[in-house]
Amino acid sequence: MQAVLPLPIARLGRPALLLLGSLLFALYVLAPVAWLVSSSFQSEAEITSKPPHWVPHQPTAHNFRSIFEAREKVVTYENRRQGDTATGGFIPSTAGNLLPGMWNSLIVAVAVVLLNLVVSVPAAYALAKIRFIGRSASIYFMLTSRVIPDIALVVPFFLFVQKLGLMDNLLSLVITYLAVTVPFSIFILTGYFESLPDELDKAARVDGCSRLQTLLLVYLPLALPSLVAVVLFTFLTSWNEFLLALMFTQTPASQTMPIVVASFTSDFNISFSFINAAGVLAIIPPVIIAILFERYIVAGLTAGAVKG
Amino acid sequence: MARIKFDAVGKKYPNGFVALENLNLDIEDREFLVLLGPSGCGKSTTLNMIAGLEDVTDGDLYFDREVMNTVPPHKRDVAMVFQSYALYPHKTVYDNIAFGLRMRKHPKDEIDRRVRDAARRLEIEPLLERRPDQLSGGQRQRVALGRAMVRQPAVFLMDEPLSNLDAALRISMRAEIKQLHQAMQTTFVYVTHDQAEALTLADRIVVMRGGVVQQIGSPDAIYEQPRNMFVAAFLGNPPINFIDGRLARHEGALVFRRGELALALPPDMAQRVAGQEGREVVLGIRAEDVTEQQPVAAGERVQGRVLSKLPVGSDQFYELEVEGARLFFRLGKEVRHREGDCAVLGVNLNRLHLFDKGSSNSLVWH
Amino acid sequence: MTHAAARESVPPVEAGAPEAVRSRRPAWPWRWFGQPVSAYDQRSAMLLLAPMVLVLMVVAVFPVVYSFWISLFDLKLTRPHRVPFVWFDNYAKIFQDSLFWESVGRTTSFTVVSVSAVMLVATLMALLLNEDFRGRRILSAILLIPWAIPYVANGLMWKWIYDSGYGALNGLLRQLGFIDKYLVWLGDADKTLLLIANAFVWKELPLATILLLVTLKSIRADLYSAAKVDGANVWQRFLHITLPSLVPGFALVMIYETMMAIRHFDLFFILTEGGPAEASHVVAWQVYVETFRKLAFGTGAALAYIMAIATFTLAFFIIRSTSRKL
Repeated sequence: MQAVLPLPIARLGRPALLLLGSLLFALYVLAPVAWLVSSSFQSEAEITSKPPHWVPHQPTAHNFRSIFEAREKVVTYENRRQGDTATGGFIPSTAGNLLPGMWNSLIVAVAVVLLNLVVSVPAAYALAKIRFIGRSASIYFMLTSRVIPDIALVVPFFLFVQKLGLMDNLLSLVITYLAVTVPFSIFILTGYFESLPDELDKAARVDGCSRLQTLLLVYLPLALPSLVAVVLFTFLTSWNEFLLALMFTQTPASQTMPIVVASFTSDFNISFSFINAAGVLAIIPPVIIAILFERYIVAGLTAGAVKG
Repeated sequence: MARIKFDAVGKKYPNGFVALENLNLDIEDREFLVLLGPSGCGKSTTLNMIAGLEDVTDGDLYFDREVMNTVPPHKRDVAMVFQSYALYPHKTVYDNIAFGLRMRKHPKDEIDRRVRDAARRLEIEPLLERRPDQLSGGQRQRVALGRAMVRQPAVFLMDEPLSNLDAALRISMRAEIKQLHQAMQTTFVYVTHDQAEALTLADRIVVMRGGVVQQIGSPDAIYEQPRNMFVAAFLGNPPINFIDGRLARHEGALVFRRGELALALPPDMAQRVAGQEGREVVLGIRAEDVTEQQPVAAGERVQGRVLSKLPVGSDQFYELEVEGARLFFRLGKEVRHREGDCAVLGVNLNRLHLFDKGSSNSLVWH
Repeated sequence: MTHAAARESVPPVEAGAPEAVRSRRPAWPWRWFGQPVSAYDQRSAMLLLAPMVLVLMVVAVFPVVYSFWISLFDLKLTRPHRVPFVWFDNYAKIFQDSLFWESVGRTTSFTVVSVSAVMLVATLMALLLNEDFRGRRILSAILLIPWAIPYVANGLMWKWIYDSGYGALNGLLRQLGFIDKYLVWLGDADKTLLLIANAFVWKELPLATILLLVTLKSIRADLYSAAKVDGANVWQRFLHITLPSLVPGFALVMIYETMMAIRHFDLFFILTEGGPAEASHVVAWQVYVETFRKLAFGTGAALAYIMAIATFTLAFFIIRSTSRKL
């Protein structure tokens, strides 16, 4: 890899500068998270000490336990909190909704990923490899559809979903997330397909493949990094999405994880340590996935060079 | 097994660019046809049309009297070898070769038999379980050949398959391809820009330029009887020498005249241009059509100052300045002149070519 | 055997009557468009694109059209039965509302601050990650963490850090001696936008960095070789090859981040709910308030529509002006 940075200092200085830079950035990124994790292992008493204990003196798993154990708590009228009509009747002071919320998030995310692939992959192949009338129009259509801010989707979707009776139905989330993630997926996949040699396409078609077969048998196996990147982006976007879930889910049964977590922060009666524990739980799945697939992300976005 | 016919076929792009214009071509069954020309001449376009990879915008394409314009490539019975081989990188050599047969749903044992046969013939049997990225260029090329061979297609298409190989390999592969053609008894359509390749391999050559066919004929016919200056110049290495001049009367005979240079036209040629003294023409002399043997008769004489000489192993190339024109001739090793010397060479008059200055067309062959 | 499949669709041409069937090409409108497109390819492409078109119709065409329609009504869910058609009244009211213009101002300052910070830090990080050194993979993986974290968790984390009673920011500054007593960070109207911007930048960094890194990696290595041979030193190579090649990617990322910043909602919800006293009341928040707190759907739709158009226009102009340089 070319040395691109203008580091006109002695050869010995370059590694030192790189090290310094790396440490700074790593610190910037990790420090807040480390503090979150540390706080989640502190008891309420410890967490409210001044100055703060950077490392817990008496680490405890109490907060996490209360999340897992409180699952069976029942929603009663007395428990209901009056508040935003948007967030409806949830119970912020019990932890019981977090795990079901995460489960909902998971279902939605998986569904969105699968459907996204079904929609995006064929479209990306067509845009990348087939000359047809309406190709540029399709590309513009796809790009501009993401210019609309999510906010602008709120009102029309809300009314529509209400009319269809799809409120509190995870399906409404799946459909809207799908629509939100498809343009970006197509964008990534098209770029990657375009970088794969055209001659493979020709060879396959002369060998007897229809367009669809060419896609499935020849291009798809070669586009693996890109596919992984798309799956990652789609999964994480869907897992982390907040605004639309806020609109479409009124009851705890259908709420996804971000909504549940958000509900905790608006209640001042909750202990800080508990909130942090909830936060840690919420971030574990996406962080693990991201770290596991880190090498595919850059590879999937860069045009791959394939020899053949 | 297949006669291919191009009937007034044209290819025009939406931005107005014309890749192919009014192509009329009949490809005989089992012939080895070479499409020859510089880049951008339309030869690859023509090949792709046979394969179905490019659409025909004008005219009709026939396979054995059936119009094929709208038939997609996977429904045609053609096989193709690409310049960059286009092997499937994620498949083994075996799977690469078997792919086309599997797509066409041949029975498994037959596929296995055919693949192994082809591998044996191409001497790549030990490579069957490897992947393309583990092969050398020459090996990949054989796999590409094998992939096309096993299909036993009606037409075999090859798009500059040897361009990526080194010189020695290229020569030996040419011979193998020729043998393959004999063995398979199928129509071969071969695209190249290398005229030596075309002359070696072809039964017939189609010379193309800028989307227009210049001449169709056997290698001999094209070489000996070029219909215009482009064809004359494109075939032959080193390229043919062109000299501007005029037709004139000299000592009672019709000659080509340029300054002091006067070459007598042979009788049949003189007959064709009879009565056209004064006409501006271009003379073509191939580098090998001269001799050092003395004495040289007056009407055959070409003399000039030696500008440079280049030994090329078995022969020498001499660059002569003749009446202000620079000409290259191929002479034997025994010739000894120095730069600046005046050399006198004898021209083989029967092998002269004469072209009209304006249109570049041959005044002799049509 | 050879062309069996084609045979059934096309009758053979008799040798004796070459003019009988001039051309079997179907009279599709393809010729009118002048495109050399085979009917088969056109069909395939349309089939392959059909799901995408369907999905995008749902999210792109439908809400745009429908929300415009709603914005022409005075729709309040508090009195759902009376929905008068008011033409562009909603828009007029918005433009006359000083609160709206103040929130536009806040959105602008938030956007400018965030995007500048993100682009600056992301460029530095991308340059760093482009180098080859041990531990680069680890740094790369660490970098991804903020991206993976949901916005709500991010907001929660920073809310805790900014906390007035026991937060880490207070604790750290106090320990280092920069302040005497704990400050109410999020309650300070002057500092609110900056604090939210900080949380936003922290989260946006990975994606911006990766996109810039991808751009860097696509610069052809032989440009550097050629420059070295031409005698350019490291600094000159940076100035004349790296920076210019970075410009299109940089512009793209900047547009993307700008759009993200303008429409951002989640952090404003978690951290400050538009407060304190309107200090962080941006346009996106205003849409939420109108729609879900005041239940004035007509106004909310109009506001959202204004945002959409503004974003679109902005992106369009930036693309136009930077594509001149491309």
